[in-house]
Amino acid sequence: MDKLASLLHTTPAIAWMVAKLVIVFGGVFSLAALWTWVERRGSAMIQDRIGPNRAALFGKIKIIGLAQPLADGIKFFFKEDLVPHDANKALFWLAPFLALVPALMGFAVIPFGRSFMSGGQEYHMALLDPGNGMGLLYPLAIGGMAVYGVLVAAWSSNNKWSILGGMRASAAMVSYEIGMSLAVVTIFMTAGGYDPSEVINAQGHLPWAWNVVRQPLGFIVFFTCMFAETNRLPFDFAEGESEIVAGFNTEYGSMKFSLLALAEYCHLMTASALMATLYFGGWQVPFVQNPAVMLSVLSFLVKMLFFAWVFVWIRWTLPRFRYDQLMHLGWKVMLPLSMANLVFHAWRMSQGH
Amino acid sequence: MGVLVKKVELSWLDRTYVWPVMKGMGITFQHFLKQLFTPTAKRFTIQYPDMKKEMPSGYRGLHELKRFEDGAIKCVACFMCQEACPARCISIEAEEFSDLNITQGFEEKRPAKFSIDMLRCIYCGMCEEACPKDAIWLRKDYEVAAYDRLSMQFGKWDLMNTYTEADGKESISQDPTPSVPRRTIAL
Repeated sequence: MDKLASLLHTTPAIAWMVAKLVIVFGGVFSLAALWTWVERRGSAMIQDRIGPNRAALFGKIKIIGLAQPLADGIKFFFKEDLVPHDANKALFWLAPFLALVPALMGFAVIPFGRSFMSGGQEYHMALLDPGNGMGLLYPLAIGGMAVYGVLVAAWSSNNKWSILGGMRASAAMVSYEIGMSLAVVTIFMTAGGYDPSEVINAQGHLPWAWNVVRQPLGFIVFFTCMFAETNRLPFDFAEGESEIVAGFNTEYGSMKFSLLALAEYCHLMTASALMATLYFGGWQVPFVQNPAVMLSVLSFLVKMLFFAWVFVWIRWTLPRFRYDQLMHLGWKVMLPLSMANLVFHAWRMSQGH
Repeated sequence: MGVLVKKVELSWLDRTYVWPVMKGMGITFQHFLKQLFTPTAKRFTIQYPDMKKEMPSGYRGLHELKRFEDGAIKCVACFMCQEACPARCISIEAEEFSDLNITQGFEEKRPAKFSIDMLRCIYCGMCEEACPKDAIWLRKDYEVAAYDRLSMQFGKWDLMNTYTEADGKESISQDPTPSVPRRTIAL
């Protein structure tokens, strides 16, 4: 790292920062693009179909259809970029970025590997170093911003279906945020801090000490709320072909639509990374005390991709909820459950466990 | 008349919603694994240009005009199929021919032109039913498409040669016996 930095005439800290930026945002972005393919192939396999397998590089190299996201991207770039006549043009252009940026930014604080020493300096595997004072409050706050993406997209397109979808989705996201936050607060309480590295260190390397075993109820609540947060299928109220056409992105086309779709998948990646960090020990490798750096990164990646796959899996298993069912579940089930979880763990801590 | 609605009593395990969801996920994952480890040839989906469906027997597709071993057409131009055709897509022009010479006269009949308008044809198989000589058959082939209307007018030789490659027969474009009798010099 020192050599590379001197080669680029910068300090190691800056070189490492740039490398992390490229790795994290490039990685999340390309994983999100890849996940569009995984979703299509996975859903096809679940439904005994085959899915997109014909997209080929240069018309020859068919790698089980892996070129499909590329082909989709190229197609989206060459589509006509329409802005409806009566839309609010500035907000209409801004909305895809408002959706995408929070989805990506939430990842900044999550450590994706063990910190390591090199040349007398410590390097951290997270964009924001531990002890920055924001900790895991940051992705929660940024997750709250994600509502704006959907709502602005819906409102600016000046379309009744869009606004219905956007209002519905933002109501769902806001109401599920409470249950989710309370579940996370329980973790902060037991870990004794809200910095991700503290949360991970408190969980340790033994799988039965991870938060998913200690707080299964909290995990279920958090997991469910993540679906509402990312607008994924059992709770996807932003869209709905049968009632409100394509919902908040009815008026969107071309690369703007593609960005909105990518934002959903980036959000999915961030949500699964959060889940891995909070409940599955982050980069901890099971039964390995001090894992090698690459091993810890691999472990984190496996956990994250597993949850990303669970998102896809759940989507193609469950039917959608009705809106009143969603609100019932959010306010009357998830909120009391996470409160009970919080009170139970507070009581246990007071008993000295 | 009232309708009896059966109320399903859910057990407490089912009412938690978590357990049924896990059962459902088990089912979908079974399907996923089954499909993942099934070789392409055994899947339900027939990947059309690469794989083709075996049509059931009795399927009525593109016509074929049958021929004898020497390449002579079996059709005797009796016009039965043209009469039977409900879509009126068959048109035949008959001619006489013989191996005999001109002084001995003609003795056989065959179509000089036999054309089917594939755009009109409804593939009902009436021509096959009507044919007294089993000269016209409907095959299982279904890929009848072209870029223009003219190519959908199938003539006599198109109909006789459509399946030569598939059946390993020789492609012909001439009747073995000419329509005008050979002039033999009778001294």
